[in-house]
Amino acid sequence: MSTPQYVAPESLEDALRIKSESGADARLVAGGTDLILRMRDRVFTPKLLLDLRRVPLTAISCTAGEMRIGSYATLSQILAHDEIANLFPALVEACRPFAGPPIRNRATIGGNIVNASPAADLVPPLMAYDANIVLSSISGDRELPLAEFFTGPGQTVIEPDEILTEVRLPLMPPDSAASFIKLGQRRSMAISIVNLCTRLSLAADGTVATARIVLGAVAPTPLRAVAAEAVLAGNDITTALLDEAAQQASRESMPISDVRASGSYRKRMTAVLVRRALSAAWGELGRNNSNG
Amino acid sequence: MADRDIQMNVNGLALKVNSGPGRTLLSALREDLGLIGAKDGCSQGDCGACVVLLDGQAVNSCMVLAPQAQGRDILTVEGLAENGVLHPLQRAFGETWAFQCGFCTPGMLMSCYALLSSNDEPSREEILTAISGNFCRCTGYQAVVKAVQQAAAEIRASSSGDGEQGRAPA
Ligand SMILES: Cc1cc2nc3c(=O)[nH]c(=O)nc-3n(C[C@H](O)[C@H](O)[C@H](O)COP(=O)(O)OP(=O)(O)OC[C@H]3O[C@@H](n4cnc5c(N)ncnc54)[C@H](O)[C@@H]3O)c2cc1C
Ligand code: FES
Ligand code: FES
Repeated sequence: MSTPQYVAPESLEDALRIKSESGADARLVAGGTDLILRMRDRVFTPKLLLDLRRVPLTAISCTAGEMRIGSYATLSQILAHDEIANLFPALVEACRPFAGPPIRNRATIGGNIVNASPAADLVPPLMAYDANIVLSSISGDRELPLAEFFTGPGQTVIEPDEILTEVRLPLMPPDSAASFIKLGQRRSMAISIVNLCTRLSLAADGTVATARIVLGAVAPTPLRAVAAEAVLAGNDITTALLDEAAQQASRESMPISDVRASGSYRKRMTAVLVRRALSAAWGELGRNNSNG
Repeated sequence: MADRDIQMNVNGLALKVNSGPGRTLLSALREDLGLIGAKDGCSQGDCGACVVLLDGQAVNSCMVLAPQAQGRDILTVEGLAENGVLHPLQRAFGETWAFQCGFCTPGMLMSCYALLSSNDEPSREEILTAISGNFCRCTGYQAVVKAVQQAAAEIRASSSGDGEQGRAPA
């Protein structure tokens, strides 16, 4: 086996230049927690490993109506960030049951996204918060909705010369609440059997202005259950409405059976867990309102 | 582009390992440096037997490529004792029977050491979270919780003045 070269450039410009010259032969190393296993299994056989840890891509900042998270920010960094906890609590909830501390100290948000596992835990909350991502290349940046990034398991629209540099979250309107739920075989160190995030944002009259229901591990990519969202949008929330949306989300899921669970179990749990997440978000909206 | 010669500070010593980039920090520590405290339990980030500190943070050394550690500080279980005196955490593990076969212990100690470095009065929940990536197949976790609480108390006592000897976490 030929061993890859290892390069840790000092600047993003250098990294983008190397990427434009080497394309798919050069593979990014972030935390390495997905990459190392895939290299060992020869799924990836890169000629060059590009480690961007000297490039400042780990910053987290809140500016001009959005939260910006550098692609090399680790799960531990996100978990410890008070502003994210305040503004995007479901994202922090998704970090908590993620592996254990030694993996969280290495694993990055960008790696979780680009790895494109249907079960990636950060993706449902990010999509529920309408996250955009920034893909950079030597010819410039493009920003696109995260929801448009994935095309299949391990497959995305990223070009061989592009690097994911930033995740951007718009600040949520008032009267918004989101809830993340992960079903795994235990509390830590488990890949999700189903993971999902729901968000409700209310209009001034109390009806649902925006609903997001994002399902993980039940389709080839993380999936927005758009028909279930449509059940909620524009309506007053009732328990019957939440039931209907949860059933609809389950119908939209298309899970497979694998080592972790059967497809039919996943489909049924999708209804149960969407219902639970919607109730949690609704409950939180009630609490926020009664607190004034 | 140091491709083969990787320099890192291991337990306070500047060391060089001659390693191809496909190798892990764990194999560099065990095979090149003879530091066999960190164990190769699963080679895939699941068991925690290989946990060491990288710039003060607990990491699975089987999931770190050797060149990712270039120029950085590594602390392994061999670096806990000072001048032949066990760290309070190590002593507490012995006194509370927090291990039987001991295979998980080096990694368990390093995860607990990382916790105590930032928190000298951890709750039971915090300890369980800190070791949630460390699997123990024979002793279980209750004795570990006890050991960490005992060590924490000792470290607090010794840092608040006259206490016994023993190195407080960095
Ligand atoms: C024991 C264990 C437990 C795990 N538990 C969970 C879990 O609970 N939930 C979960 O979702 N995942 C889990 N994972 C998977 C993994 O840890 C995550 O997907 C992690 O976020 C990957 O990030 P990384 O920085 O390690 O990525 P890497 O392994 O460094 O990279 C992953 C892929 O993305 C590419 N890449 C990385 N960054 C960029 C970038 N900025 N631009 C372009 N391409 C890039 C790499 O080239 C590679 O192909 C677990 C893994 C292990 C080993
Ligand atoms: S050997 Fe590294 S986690 Fe098991
Ligand atoms: S003491 Fe044997 S595995 Fe923990």
